[in-house]
Amino acid sequence: MDIKFTEEQQLIRKSARQFLMDKCPSSLLREMVEGTKGYSDELWRQMAELGWMALIFPEEFGGTGGNFMELILLLEEMGRACLPGPFFSTVVLGGLTILEAGTKQQKQELLPKIAKGELIATLAITESESDYDPSSITVTAKAKGESFIVHGTKLFVPNAHVADYLLCVARTEKGKDPEDGITLFVIDGKAEGIKYTLLNTMAKDKQYEIFFNKVRVPKENVLGELNKGWGLLKKILQKAALAKCAEMVGGGQQVLDMAVSYAKKRVQFGKPIGSFQAIQHHCSNMLVDLDGCRWVTYKGAWMIDEDIPYEKEVSIAKAWCNDAFRRIVALGHQVIGGVGYCEDHDMPLYFRMGRMAEITFGDSDFHREIVAKQLFSAG
Amino acid sequence: MNFNLTSTPEEEKFRQEVSDFLDKELTDEIRRQYAIDKGLGPEGRAFALKLGAKGWLGLGWPKEYGGSDGSIIHDFILVQEFARHEVHIPNEVARFMSGPTILHHGSEEMKREFLPRIARGEIEFGLGYTEPPAGSDLLAMQMVAVEKEDCYLITGQKTFNTESHYADYHWLAAKTDLNAPKHESISLFVVDQRSPGITITPIWTLGGERTNEVFYDDVRVPKNRLVGEKNRGFYYMIEALNYERLMMSQTERLVPILNRIIEYTRQTRRNGKLMTEDPLVRNKLAQMAIEIEVSKCLEYRAFAMLFEGRSPDYESGISKLFISELYQRLAYTGMEILGFFGRLDEDSKWVPLRGEISRLCRMSVVYTIGGGTSEIIRNLTATRGLGLPRN
Ligand SMILES: Cc1cc2nc3c(=O)[nH]c(=O)nc-3n(C[C@H](O)[C@H](O)[C@H](O)COP(=O)(O)OP(=O)(O)OC[C@H]3O[C@@H](n4cnc5c(N)ncnc54)[C@H](O)[C@@H]3O)c2cc1C
Repeated sequence: MDIKFTEEQQLIRKSARQFLMDKCPSSLLREMVEGTKGYSDELWRQMAELGWMALIFPEEFGGTGGNFMELILLLEEMGRACLPGPFFSTVVLGGLTILEAGTKQQKQELLPKIAKGELIATLAITESESDYDPSSITVTAKAKGESFIVHGTKLFVPNAHVADYLLCVARTEKGKDPEDGITLFVIDGKAEGIKYTLLNTMAKDKQYEIFFNKVRVPKENVLGELNKGWGLLKKILQKAALAKCAEMVGGGQQVLDMAVSYAKKRVQFGKPIGSFQAIQHHCSNMLVDLDGCRWVTYKGAWMIDEDIPYEKEVSIAKAWCNDAFRRIVALGHQVIGGVGYCEDHDMPLYFRMGRMAEITFGDSDFHREIVAKQLFSAG
Repeated sequence: MNFNLTSTPEEEKFRQEVSDFLDKELTDEIRRQYAIDKGLGPEGRAFALKLGAKGWLGLGWPKEYGGSDGSIIHDFILVQEFARHEVHIPNEVARFMSGPTILHHGSEEMKREFLPRIARGEIEFGLGYTEPPAGSDLLAMQMVAVEKEDCYLITGQKTFNTESHYADYHWLAAKTDLNAPKHESISLFVVDQRSPGITITPIWTLGGERTNEVFYDDVRVPKNRLVGEKNRGFYYMIEALNYERLMMSQTERLVPILNRIIEYTRQTRRNGKLMTEDPLVRNKLAQMAIEIEVSKCLEYRAFAMLFEGRSPDYESGISKLFISELYQRLAYTGMEILGFFGRLDEDSKWVPLRGEISRLCRMSVVYTIGGGTSEIIRNLTATRGLGLPRN
């Protein structure tokens, strides 16, 4: 048993926190969220210089060979700052998938660019009748000569408008098992026949509808095995779910910090409200929830790094973090009162972020079902 | 016992009349204005005047002040029908907060000046209690009204005064005695909201509504605009609370929202099946129906006490508490059922139910804060309802 972070890990966390505190004040955050692009080139460049985009990739592909725990710590700080932008979609959704399943050539071509911050990527899975369910995937890819023709509509694709490459999940064959016959493709974001429509979410986090109108994709752009994409995707989705947990841990910490510091300062009835037990219990409950989120997330990261089967534990983490983060934000609002309901306060940013995080890569019902399946398959 | 909303043929006839009227008069535009812009467009205002002409905005008030000599059961039936039709009573602060207090404590002159106009649906008041240092602890307010020979001179700052940017009058609480015990130092005033020396600046909220900061700089207020007795304001505020709570939030409002979520599940396939076939979805919807029924019972119980002349104490408090928390649970249930689509704003492609669930989710955050926080209500429930010692 050992819950200490390595010096390297502590450094990552500390420097990320410092950097985001200095470079990403709430004013810039709001500018990015309101803007059409959704992030700042300057900030992106500086993040790349710090090696953030390179962190998780092996040295042979231009990375620095960090482990998943280190990525989690970095994402935690991003969540704490409520940082918008395509880091998650590029590194976690794009980069890790390519690293996991790409051919040597695909990796050599794409990963060094991602690591340098020169390439933006995203992943298109969700559709109108399916969040993460293989049987309802309707986007098709049909082989035609040396290409596939991709056709159909994807929804809620983050940062698609700025993506150089879209990883797209499509049905290439109809098998008995809905998980069979699904393939991943790397598609050039500027390919002919792609139409992007912005979806206005409550977090303004630049989610897009993508309509692929018979888009021609070269055969060598298949990522991983033909027709065997779902297994790969499941793995990626679990990692992405845990990465989302890390953002919620950071966001939860920030909300708790805001609530506690407000409770110390705000005086009503002649006393700081933090002296009332109702408020103390709110803050304590937030901490209980947060600590649960934090350690269950770290445990998941440790399992991923140690290559211990992690499906159940990651689903436990995501189900717990979804619900706990919702409670943390609600209690934060309660403690901070009317002031925290105003848009010029930071609380609404975390409220909005939470609504997106709790659904992305599986809501609690979805993950509880995975846990249930594991429970029954064990018996 | 009788849990029906109406218990005499006359009451039922009245309910039916209100219902028919709303069925006939309500257009999408009026609904929209009352849901989002406080009923301020020309259609919303015309609707308010029509209600006034019906005599429905002064139901429980004496005829001589523009009322209809009805009873509060009529008020209750009216608000329930409005809730069922998903509109707000126009000029709610004037009708349910300022008006009744003027009726009970205002001078004859004040009653004649204001009540008939409220009953006709012509004027709205902005609620002016909260200040930066005085939220839950209203007695900590610092705005000062100094009595001069011919007027009060008022200086200070209010915050979160939601109606002030469009209201005709400000229903203002200010300190009129700096030496007396706090609860005997506050007075209520009716201030012309456009008086010289008043500055109003907007505050925008998570729910998208506007509220305001209101600054007073030596604002002259005529003496006859003092409500009732000087330094009795805090008592008036407390006394009015039960009635206000019951008139300004109804469980019935949740019913059509739940119905639309149910309808959505009837028409939507998710992950390979119709949503109504999903046991998790059914369970969530059933839970909401259960909670709505409980909430309605708590609300009717509190109103029945008021109606019988027994002043509800913690009972109206827990009704407000329950409804406000239930709103949040309903919003989250809706979000869970609508999934990604529930996160879309009203103007987005693919948005279901015109974005109402996402809006409700944001707006309901404040329901457990405004009008008495859940913590304060629980404190009062413990001490007054259960007799636990105060700390
Ligand atoms: C959108 C909006 C509209 C509003 N409209 C109006 C309006 O039109 N007119 C108006 O006058 N006001 C209005 N208000 C003000 C509203 O009534 C106050 O926000 C509310 O009374 C709470 O006060 P506060 O926000 O200062 O929170 P605080 O009183 O500072 O409370 C902060 C936290 O401390 C807790 N707390 C405080 N005292 C105790 C205690 N003794 N024991 C335990 N916990 C305690 C609270 O419950 C809360 O959790 C509005 C507010 C908002 C946000």
